[in-house]
Amino acid sequence: MTATIALPLAILLPLVLGTAVAPLAARRARAAAVWTAAAVTAAAALILAAAAPPVLAGGAVQALWPWIPALGLNVALRLDGLGLLFAGLILAIGLLVILYAHYYLGSRDPAGKFFGLLMLFMAAMLGVVLADNLLLLVVFWELTSVASFLLIGYWSERAESRQGARMALAVTGAGGLALLAGVLLLGAAGGTFEISALAAARDRVQASPLFPVALALVLLGAFTKSAQFPFHFWLPEAMAAPTPVSAYLHSATMVKAGVFLLLRLYPVLGGNAPFEYAACTVGLVTMVFGAYVAIFRHDLKGLLAYSTISHLGLIVFLIGLDSPLSAVAAVFHVVNHATFKASLFMAAGIVDHECGTRDMRRINGLWRYMPYTATLAIVAAAAMAGVPLLNGFLSKEMFFAEALGMHHLGVLGAVAPYAATLGGAFGVAYSARFVHDVFFNGAPRGLPRTPHEPPRFMKVPVEILVVICIAVGVLPALTVGPVVDLAATAVLGGALPAHSLALWHGFNAPLALSMIATALGGALYWALARKYDLHLHAPSGWTARLLFTRALDGLFAASARLTSALDNGSLQRQLALLVTTAVGLGAVAFAAGGRLAGARALLPVTPLAAAAWLVLVAAALGVVRLHRTRLTAVILAGAIGLVSALGFAYFSAPDLALTQLAVEVVTTILLLLALAALPRTSPRESGPGRRARDLALAGLAGAGVAAIAFAAMTRERDSIAGYFLENAVPKGGGANVVNVILVDFRGFDTFGEITVLVIAALGVAALLTGMVTHRPATDPAGRPWSVQRVPLVFAAAVRWMLPFALLVSVYLFLRGHNAPGGGFIAALVVAAGIATVYMSEGFARTERAIALDYARVAALGVLVAAATGAGAIGFGRPFLASAHGHPALPPFGEVPLATAALFDLGVYLAVIGATLLMLVELARVPGRDAE
Amino acid sequence: MSFWQAHLVVLPVVLPLAAGALMLLFDEGRYALKAAISVAATLALVAAAIALARLADAGAVHVYRLGDWPAPFGIVLVADRLSAVLVLLASALGFAALVFSLARWSRAGPRFHALFQFLLMGVNGAFLTGDLFNLFVFFEVFLAASYGLALYGSGAARVRAGLHYIAVNLTASLLFLIGASLLYGITGTLNMADLAVRVPAVAAGDRMLLEAGAAILGIAFLVKAGMWPLGFWLPGTYAAASAPAAAVFAILTKVGVYAVLRVSLLVFGAEAGASAGFGGDWLVLGGMLTLAFGVICMLAAQELSRLAAFSLLVSSGTLLAAIGTGGVAVTGAALYYLVVSTLGVGAFFLLIELVERGRAPGANVLAVTAEAFGLGDADGEIPAEEVVGIAIPAAVGVLGVTFACCALLLAGLPPLPGFIAKFALLAALLDPDPISAAAWSLLVLLTVSGLAATIATARAGVRIFWASPERSVPRVAVIEMAPVVLLLALCAGLTVQAGPAMRYLQDTAQSLHAPRGYIEGVLAR
Repeated sequence: MTATIALPLAILLPLVLGTAVAPLAARRARAAAVWTAAAVTAAAALILAAAAPPVLAGGAVQALWPWIPALGLNVALRLDGLGLLFAGLILAIGLLVILYAHYYLGSRDPAGKFFGLLMLFMAAMLGVVLADNLLLLVVFWELTSVASFLLIGYWSERAESRQGARMALAVTGAGGLALLAGVLLLGAAGGTFEISALAAARDRVQASPLFPVALALVLLGAFTKSAQFPFHFWLPEAMAAPTPVSAYLHSATMVKAGVFLLLRLYPVLGGNAPFEYAACTVGLVTMVFGAYVAIFRHDLKGLLAYSTISHLGLIVFLIGLDSPLSAVAAVFHVVNHATFKASLFMAAGIVDHECGTRDMRRINGLWRYMPYTATLAIVAAAAMAGVPLLNGFLSKEMFFAEALGMHHLGVLGAVAPYAATLGGAFGVAYSARFVHDVFFNGAPRGLPRTPHEPPRFMKVPVEILVVICIAVGVLPALTVGPVVDLAATAVLGGALPAHSLALWHGFNAPLALSMIATALGGALYWALARKYDLHLHAPSGWTARLLFTRALDGLFAASARLTSALDNGSLQRQLALLVTTAVGLGAVAFAAGGRLAGARALLPVTPLAAAAWLVLVAAALGVVRLHRTRLTAVILAGAIGLVSALGFAYFSAPDLALTQLAVEVVTTILLLLALAALPRTSPRESGPGRRARDLALAGLAGAGVAAIAFAAMTRERDSIAGYFLENAVPKGGGANVVNVILVDFRGFDTFGEITVLVIAALGVAALLTGMVTHRPATDPAGRPWSVQRVPLVFAAAVRWMLPFALLVSVYLFLRGHNAPGGGFIAALVVAAGIATVYMSEGFARTERAIALDYARVAALGVLVAAATGAGAIGFGRPFLASAHGHPALPPFGEVPLATAALFDLGVYLAVIGATLLMLVELARVPGRDAE
Repeated sequence: MSFWQAHLVVLPVVLPLAAGALMLLFDEGRYALKAAISVAATLALVAAAIALARLADAGAVHVYRLGDWPAPFGIVLVADRLSAVLVLLASALGFAALVFSLARWSRAGPRFHALFQFLLMGVNGAFLTGDLFNLFVFFEVFLAASYGLALYGSGAARVRAGLHYIAVNLTASLLFLIGASLLYGITGTLNMADLAVRVPAVAAGDRMLLEAGAAILGIAFLVKAGMWPLGFWLPGTYAAASAPAAAVFAILTKVGVYAVLRVSLLVFGAEAGASAGFGGDWLVLGGMLTLAFGVICMLAAQELSRLAAFSLLVSSGTLLAAIGTGGVAVTGAALYYLVVSTLGVGAFFLLIELVERGRAPGANVLAVTAEAFGLGDADGEIPAEEVVGIAIPAAVGVLGVTFACCALLLAGLPPLPGFIAKFALLAALLDPDPISAAAWSLLVLLTVSGLAATIATARAGVRIFWASPERSVPRVAVIEMAPVVLLLALCAGLTVQAGPAMRYLQDTAQSLHAPRGYIEGVLAR
């Protein structure tokens, strides 16, 4: 199989097939899900094995599928020694974990969810180790965070699962984002996201001014993932996951992703002082700190978790060190740690399973109940402690050798051997505690059940791993040696120095350190257990976990406070902000300078204009002053409208004047109807401070609008208006330019506006449907509410007037295209006429008499307008194109006709329908009292 | 050019209008007929939008002269890639929300379908028009429809939030009118392409008026986009609106963003003389403030619907800041982000109702409404508990998976395209050398906002799906789940086909930053 297919396939198999099929299979039987997962894993392993020969020969295979070439994000996969080693670990241990989980999961645990998520996680990990594109790596990296979040929260009904999952997501998610930012900076510095290309451009990358920031961010990503101090605290919390998950997360995956990233990017980032100092310091501190804390954990898995932290610190330290052999040691320890830690977790899971608790203060003396499992666990723990003949010993000795050779690192180099020995001693101590507390140290105390050996096949994965521990420990060069060399070569990007993975190197300084550490560790545990009574140790209150939780809670509380302070839900405040912003930005523009008044000469002020202006100002001030007396305010607002209409008439805009007049009448009627559903006065709600603020704001906004209106009106400019004047008659077929603009030149605007009117009417209707008002039975003076009869004269007058109103309306409509008038004005005249009928004849009676569904009338109007517009399409012209002519009709002679009139008919109907719909709905409200 | 192609540009406006008006002619009770008309019209709209998007990809702008009047005198609709993509986005989102509403909401009050179609008409018109005043008209169309839809379903919370919404947006409309009038007063034209031609020639003494007008106009747009401090109305309104209304409202904020983008790059683009790049710094500042505010609110949000609404603010802020920084690559990435975040938030709004349904048995919005408004068993009311259609099996599992997908989208985590969008934006921001201070701060903000969104959505998801074992299993109809899945599937498609999608949007950005083709296309005699 070619690599182009094989590499993506190895990821896609678990990603698609595994995540989809395993949950489906689980519906049939648990075993079906297990077999599916195992088969998918094995298949992926076989596919990779098939692609591996060139890699084993020292080369690498690649696959490249374009994804978003424009951004440099491609599905670039590459299998080299390092990738092969990690992929092998992921798949091999994955297979063992699947087998183990089959026996581990309880009958009520949803198996489909478990295996589906496990497959997702495995796919994400494979993606991380096979990616040759840094962005692709980040994609899979984030996916591991998400998948591990879901796996840790598997037992979602338990509070500690939920907390552990959220913490893991927060910490590794933050790290992932830092990594993304770092990767982007690396890409900007190196001009590519392909890792192999970046490695080639290493000098350019490291010389870039962006490099320090990029390095810090990438390290942040790796350290959070690999649980380095001070980001370690999420890992022990992740113990809430089912044990198979813990075994997987701690040995071959998740935390190893951070380590892998450092190894993978070593050719790009490594080999400089900042990298070396940062990784070595953090690694060393983590190693000692984790090992120290592990001694004091009473929870079996907690001890193992801190042990993992410690060993990861060791690996990070080795990677950081600028020495070729340290890379070999790092890779070697990755393998060793994976094997013994996976087997230890599985053993811990068996203990947990059999005892019903993981508290080492209660589970003691299990040797008597499960000697076979105990033997396996003791061997694995010995490997963890670094006992000779086991794999842990070899890599730990290499670690000591490296720690002794750090002379170029000054103080750090001087401290390192001591710290390493101390960490090693702690490691021996917690391993001793693990073995002693669980399997010896008296008898179990108050266990919920009697432990015994687990099912046969539950032990198989542990057996396999323990055998590997021994085999590697005795014959390192024959077992993993070649693969470790391949991987280390890939890290260093060149030939490895001469070295040998062997059990015996003679008596030398590393061996001495190792012996000191073992003796010290044993003594330490003996002292702690006998003199201090380890079981009574209570952990101190200040942990990183606590600080993190506090910080997060504080963040939530602070954002809640800030949110409610900024947004108190007040409409007045929002409007004030809106007006302030408008005034402010307008002022900023004006601050650039320029003359307000334009070149146009001002017209003289005539007495009539002055009088009208005074009325306008007085009415406007009156509305502000008397706005709490609602009826007065509406009437005064009507006065403003009427003066405006006069103004339009005065400045030779009869169409505008007519429109303004009609609109004023109809809106006043609608407002009065609305008032009937409201109290007579508005209460005074704002204090003096607010009123002053509002006065200032309103004054500024008003002055601003006046200023820009003045400025615009005093300026001459070349505008499109001339075109309309020239073409209204020859091309529009109408002498009334305003009407031709409305129904032809800019008919599309009118088309939209009548729709707005109809929608508004529908909205009013929707809001008011079923609304009930609470009308008091008496007025404030205690007088009962009475319905006054309409004066007879008024009723009679209205009956006379209505036909005239309708006639006027038809007249206005017909002449609209050539003289002031048009559909809009004509419709408002009809609406005002019918409104008066409602008033005089009473609501119910008029409704019976007219019996029209106004919504339908309105809709019909819109449809007529639309059909007129669409008619033009039938003649091969664009929507709303008009035609006009003067055909001779026998009785009338030559008649001016324009399709625009048909459009205007649509306007006419829509406006009538919408206006009357609002009117009727408003009129209905007071009729429905709460009683 | 075929008949259909010739008139394709006007179809996204006329089709929903005709469908909406047609439905008003039928009685309230004829649900099936109205549903059929509405679905058919929206499907046709989607098809038209797809055709339009393909047509626009040829590179030329398609100008449709309404009434056959030449620009700049008459009104033109202009379909370029940007308009076409946004029309497609609106119609796809609209289709999903519409299908969702068929289960329940479309029967909870009068004239849902008509209002819904009018909303689509207004949005499409706003995306397509090439005329500033016509833009105002279409703003009014979709706003009027959105007023109806915001209040739709009634209830005290909805009416209070809806009335705030109306008051603020009417004020914004007034500002729009003032701004547009002022621009007309100074330049003598309303056609946007013509404005682009005339703005460089504006006399130095008139420039302050021009810029004041543009600023006021911009505020009207930014209110729609929900920019801080103009967007306080948004979370309350969106959180209180019914699920399908809120979902389709997700596109309304994008109309504001679109208008900013269009006007700033066309009229105040590189060739605008002394006013080139007008307002860019303000946009960056406002966008970042909005982003920060939205993120803080997301952390504070207790209810899912508010969380979703705040994520809209985050998306608006991101877009505005990105547009303000300028740069072709940034704009292209921002457009990808726009599409993805709109689909994601839309799906989230729909999903929230389904999730909440299982959580709060009895606390039923419709029941409360009926009580407060004395609605009894009037025609057009159905018992709220009743869900029309077939219920889906394993509802909790499906809800959980879809919720996780929405959370990934909002937080910008892989494998859904929220991640691609974010990283495309960041990569584009880091491209110029040296990197500007604004780009650095946006980089930090975007990264931190991703983390905050992760924490906030994880907290909400854990609380809902993991921490409440007593929750009842909600009854979820297939036609309610299908639209959510459809929107998420579109997102997944945008991940897999990210290459072509990004290519399309980068081309869009390219022509936006070089508006000569647009201007010549519109003004050609």
